[in-house]
Formats: sequence, structure tokens, C-alpha cells
Amino acid sequence: MIEAKNISKVFSTKRGTTHVIDNVSFTVKRNEFVVLFGPGQCGKTTLINLLSGLDTPTSGTVMVNDKQVLRPGPERGVVFQAMALFPWLTVRENVAYGLKARGFAKSYWMERSSYYIDLVGLSGFEDAFINKLSGGMKQRVGIARAYCNEPEVLFMDEPFSALDAQTRYLMQEEVMRIWSKEKRTVVFVTNNIEEAVYLADRIILLTNTPAKIKQEYPITLSRPRDYTSFEFLALRDEISKNMDSTL
Amino acid sequence: MKRLPSWAYGVISIFSFLVFWAVGIYFSEIKIVMPGPWQVIIGFLRSFIRPIGRHTMTVHILYSLMRVVPAYIVGSLVGVTLGILMGWYAPVNAFFRPIYELIRPIPPIAWIPISIVWFGIGEGSKWFLIFLAAFVPVTLNSISGAKSVDPLLIKCGEMLGASKNYIFRSIVLPFSVPYIFSGLQVGLAGAWATVVAAEMIRSSEGVGWIIISSMDTNDVTQSLIGIMGIGIVGFLLAIIMRKTEDYLCAWTIREG
Amino acid sequence: MPPLGGIYKYFMNRRFLNLTLSLLSIVLFIGIWHLCTAVLQIVPSNTLPSPERVFQSFIKKFTNPNPDGATLIQHTVASLNVALTGYAWALLIGLPLGIIMAWIPLVDRFVRPLFDLLKPIPGVAWIPLMIVIFGLGIASKAAVVFFSAVVPCVLNSYTGIKQTKDVHLWVARTFGASNIQKLFTIAIPTALPHILTGTRVALGAAWVAIVAAELLGATRGLGFMIQQSRGIFRTDIIIVGMFAIGICGGILTTILTWISNLLLKGRR
Repeated sequence: MIEAKNISKVFSTKRGTTHVIDNVSFTVKRNEFVVLFGPGQCGKTTLINLLSGLDTPTSGTVMVNDKQVLRPGPERGVVFQAMALFPWLTVRENVAYGLKARGFAKSYWMERSSYYIDLVGLSGFEDAFINKLSGGMKQRVGIARAYCNEPEVLFMDEPFSALDAQTRYLMQEEVMRIWSKEKRTVVFVTNNIEEAVYLADRIILLTNTPAKIKQEYPITLSRPRDYTSFEFLALRDEISKNMDSTL
Repeated sequence: MKRLPSWAYGVISIFSFLVFWAVGIYFSEIKIVMPGPWQVIIGFLRSFIRPIGRHTMTVHILYSLMRVVPAYIVGSLVGVTLGILMGWYAPVNAFFRPIYELIRPIPPIAWIPISIVWFGIGEGSKWFLIFLAAFVPVTLNSISGAKSVDPLLIKCGEMLGASKNYIFRSIVLPFSVPYIFSGLQVGLAGAWATVVAAEMIRSSEGVGWIIISSMDTNDVTQSLIGIMGIGIVGFLLAIIMRKTEDYLCAWTIREG
Repeated sequence: MPPLGGIYKYFMNRRFLNLTLSLLSIVLFIGIWHLCTAVLQIVPSNTLPSPERVFQSFIKKFTNPNPDGATLIQHTVASLNVALTGYAWALLIGLPLGIIMAWIPLVDRFVRPLFDLLKPIPGVAWIPLMIVIFGLGIASKAAVVFFSAVVPCVLNSYTGIKQTKDVHLWVARTFGASNIQKLFTIAIPTALPHILTGTRVALGAAWVAIVAAELLGATRGLGFMIQQSRGIFRTDIIIVGMFAIGICGGILTTILTWISNLLLKGRR
């Protein structure tokens, strides 16, 4: 479904060149939930931007559904850490934005947006402006908006890092619930090991900058997972130990 | 000291100011030329019934507004359109920037003489000046607005499948609205000041005329009445603008 | 369109395109101006003189005191003199006033209503009153400049101080700072960008005010110069004067911006 072939990313600034991603290759199968995990500032966001098309690799190619990715597009939905919602639109208008922009009929996007607003648990808030919503609610809108646009793949870049701890646990459960109802291929970035083990079918552990793949961990625990189970904790320890320390 | 309601302070301070004024006049030599507050207020209220020159205060105010409002609207519309286009499309910016930067540093007031040469002493010259007074700041702020759009929101639009034009209409324009309103406020204040100045230099009615004609008769009371009229109308215009902005920009996340 | 070799060439081409557009618009502007005046003469030269004429007059006016009694330099200095006097007073009174208003709530509650009442009155409206009080000389004009410039000073320093973060003040309190110390070590540095913006806006306002005051009655100064020139149908000098006003204003703003950047070095 997704194929990253030897991608590298180099940033050139006045102060010199920085190699952020170094020759990374991996694949993601259809409907797989893959988590990119690594120490802080290692290049995870850059990597996911390369996959979604928000950025282009300096070398190598990214293929989604056997088509090369060159720019962002509706087939590759993104949920941002900074949420990036449109403050002048209501919740419904935000969620339906993609469908409206692409020219679908009003009846269609009304029905679709209602479905996804309900799916993320925000029924009743369709006509609210987003400056009235809490952080967790805003991120739900972000997820609904990405889903509503009917993408083939969902990319989530540390979507819960800006939320408080309790909301974060709640959102992790929500994501699992939504994903089990509406299966998609998901690539999820986080720097929180419990979040990674809780959510992933497979964890791709990255090294420090320049990021390379250190190891891949298939997670076969059945869902819903228990943060405190023996297997969960064992995996968490194993991956943590293997992780590079943050620079 | 117990806290009084906020309007009470305003009343007290304005009242004290008026008392201070009245007392100062009474006990000093200025009273030969300068009127006390009571005279000015009475004179102001009377001016709505008894004409100053050929018109009552109401008519004078209407003349001034008639000069300001149409030209301000046209100037602002042109300014918003040009400014947003310049802020978003680099070629448009490249083409119009030099001329704009040529006009910008010259205050509208400095255009008065040449405007009279070009348009005569009638309404046309005043409309031209008000147009400039509105156009310049509105354009500047609109450019700023279009340029300041969060690039992440643009990327978001692309990700969701919007075309460049749709992004312009649905993201750049709404995002710029608060900036545009900043410009509209500055433009309004400038337009009002410009019409007063223009009327002081060349006109036969209007609030600015009230002030300048008072110089011919050395009637300080009249000049203060004029100042009151100018201040009150300017104040009301600013409030109308602010209310409009609050209504249209209810969605902005105001910084605490 | 032929494919451009390499990403570098394409980038250069985009910038090149914009540069050409800018140059084109300047050329068009002067060209059309020249066409309408010197070549086709569709407007009389009293209404709009040709660009060459304006340029000539500009050069000549540097040294020629005719026909209004002073050279361009003398006029500019006269205007600057009065403008900067009024401006200096506006800074001296306006900035501290705004700071005190924002810092001491009691002062705020009393002075704000008065200030809000006087705020919408344009500086020029005060001219007759100032002439009554100060006479016909420089003082009345400087007073008008003062009234125009003091408003942005107060407003911006007020807003700047109000932006002081509570968190910072609390930190200072834990160190035992007195009220005065908090004002000078935290509030004012926080407010500095706003204060400097205020000085820039005030300078613009001061410059406009002096031109307006001179249009109404003066014997020297750039405003006087362009008003006089209209009376004697020297439109070329009017345009020279307008450019001079614009250029001068621009230079003043640039100087202030440069000072601002110096004082705000290292900030975001």
C-alpha cells in the first residue's frame, strides 16, 4: 500500500546542510496501523511529511498505491499536532471542507459530515465555532475532517502531544474505536512509548538524526490492550532500552 | 476605598475637568478670549437649531459625512481587493508595489493643493483625498493579512484537495479579515482627519469649515463647538466600526 | 513553454519575472506620464507638468529661493524644526503618561475617559484654539504637532505595558522586587516593542500634522511651499514638494526603524 524506497531528506540552510532522514525504506500494508517511534527531534515529523506529500524527499521515492507521491492530496489525509482547524468555520464546515472543496453535492457532504461528527463523539456541536472547544474536542474535529475526506491513508503526526495526560489516554482509546469501525491504513507518529505499544500493529523504531530504521517491532497483542499487562510492559521495556537517547 | 462602577470614574473625571476649566477661566486672564465649558456646551446644543453660517450643526455634519462615507467605501474596497491580490499573488505585487510605495509616504493632506488643481474646489477634490486616505492603510493591512496566512492552513487546504483558487477564497480571504479591519479602522480615522483638514482649507460648509470660519471672527467658542462636533462624530464612527468588527470577527481567538 | 534546465534556473526565472514586472510598471508609469504631458499634451502643463519638468524644478529648488522665498532645504529644515519640537514633547509626555495609566489602575480609571474623549479629534482641528493661546508663531504649530503625536504614544505604551505577563510579575515578586522595580525591570522591557512602534506611528502623525498646519498658515516649510505654489500655478513645485514630504517622512521612519532594531536586538 505504502512503499518508501531509499528516501533521504537533506535540508540546506545558510549555516550548512543537515541530513535529517538517511536512506529509509519500509512498506506499510493495507489497513495496517503503523507507528513511527523514536527519540525527540529525530525526524519523525519530516518522515511523515515525506510520506504524505507535504514535503518531497531529496532522493528516493514514496509510493502510495503504486503511484508516486509528489504533493499533498485528498488520498493522503493528515491529522496535525497543531490541529490546523479553520477558526472561521463551524465544526461541520471544517469536517466537510474537503468534500466541499472537491465539489461534492451539499446533501452528500451534509450526510457524510454528520456521520463522522457522530463517529468522533461530537454530535450536538456541529454548528459550534472551534474557539469554543477544548483541546481534545478540537483534535476530534481534526480526525473527523481527515476521515470525512475519504482518504486511502491516514497520517497522524503526534496528534495528542498537545493534550493533557487524561485526555490523551481517552483519545488513544477513541482512535482505536474509530479505527476498528472504519478501517484505514494509518501511519502514526509519537514519542510516547505507551501510546505506541497501545496503538500499533507494528512499531518502526528510528534512530537519532540522521534518522534510519533501527528496528521494526510487530505487535501481536489482542485489542483492546492493557497498559499494565505483563506482555505490554515487556514490550515497552524492550523498545525503550533499544531506543537512542534524545540528543 | 470601595470600588465604584466603571462609568462613575468617567463621569467624575470629565466633571472635574470641566470644573477645572471653568475655574481656570474665571480666575485668569484667558477669560477674555476663551469661553468656559458651559458656554461651549450650550453653544454646541444650540447649533443644532441655530445655524452656524448658513447651516445647522446637523447639516454641517451631514456635509462632512457625505464627503467621507462614499469615498471611504470606494477607497476601502479598492484597497482590500488590491491588497489581498498583492499579498497572495507575487506577480501582482511585483507590478503594483513600486507605484504603491511611491504614493504611500505622501500623506493625503499633502495632496490637497494638487487635488484642488486637478478637481477644483468642489466635492470631487475631497472625494479624491478621502479615497487616498482610506486606500493606503487598507491596502497595507490587506497585504499584511494575505501574507500572514499560516502556511500550515494552506498545506491543510491542499491536503484536503482544494484547488489554489478555492484555497484563496476559503482560507486566505477569511484569515485576512481581522487584518483588513485593522486597516479599515486606521483608514477611517485618517479619512475623518483628512476631511476636516480639507474642509478647513477649502470649503463653505462642514465641520472643518466651522472651525476655520471661527478664525475669521475670532470666535473661540465656535471653534470649540466645531471640535466637539468633530470629536463626537469621530467617536461614533469608530464605535460603529468596532461593533462591525466584533460581529464579523467573532471567531477570532483573542489573545488574553 | 520550453522545459527549464534544473531547479535553479526555474527559481531564477520566477524572481526574474517579478523583477521585470516591477521595472515594467515603473517604466509604464513614467512613460504614460511623459506621453500625456510632453508628447501628446492632453493636459495643460499647469495641471500636470511633464516628468522632466518636475525633475528640473526639483534640482533647481535645492538652491533657488524663488518663487516662494526659500530653497527646498530651508523649507525642509523649517518643517522639521517645528515637527521635531512638537514630537519631542509628545514623547516626553505621552510615553510616561501611557505607562503610568497602564501601571496604576486608579490613574487609568480617571484619565482613560478623558483620553478617549479627546482621542478622535484630529490634530488640525486644534489649530484655531492654539493660535488663540500661543499666537501665530511656531508655538501654535508645535502644539498642533504635539496633539497629533501624543495620541499614538499614549496608546502604544499603554498597550505595551498591559501585555506584561502575570507570570513574569509573580517571578519578580518572589525575588522581593518593589513595584517600581517591577515596572522598570519587567513591564517596560516587555512593552518596548510596542513603545517603539508607537514612536514610529507618532512620528508619522507629527509629520502629517506639520504639513497640515503649514497648509493653513505659515511663512516657511514644505506645506507652505506647496500651498504657495498652487496660488502661482507652479504645479511642478507642488509635485516637488509632495515628493520631498514623502521622502522626508520615509527617511524619518527609516531612521526610527533602524533605532528600533538596534534597541530590540536579539528579540524574536
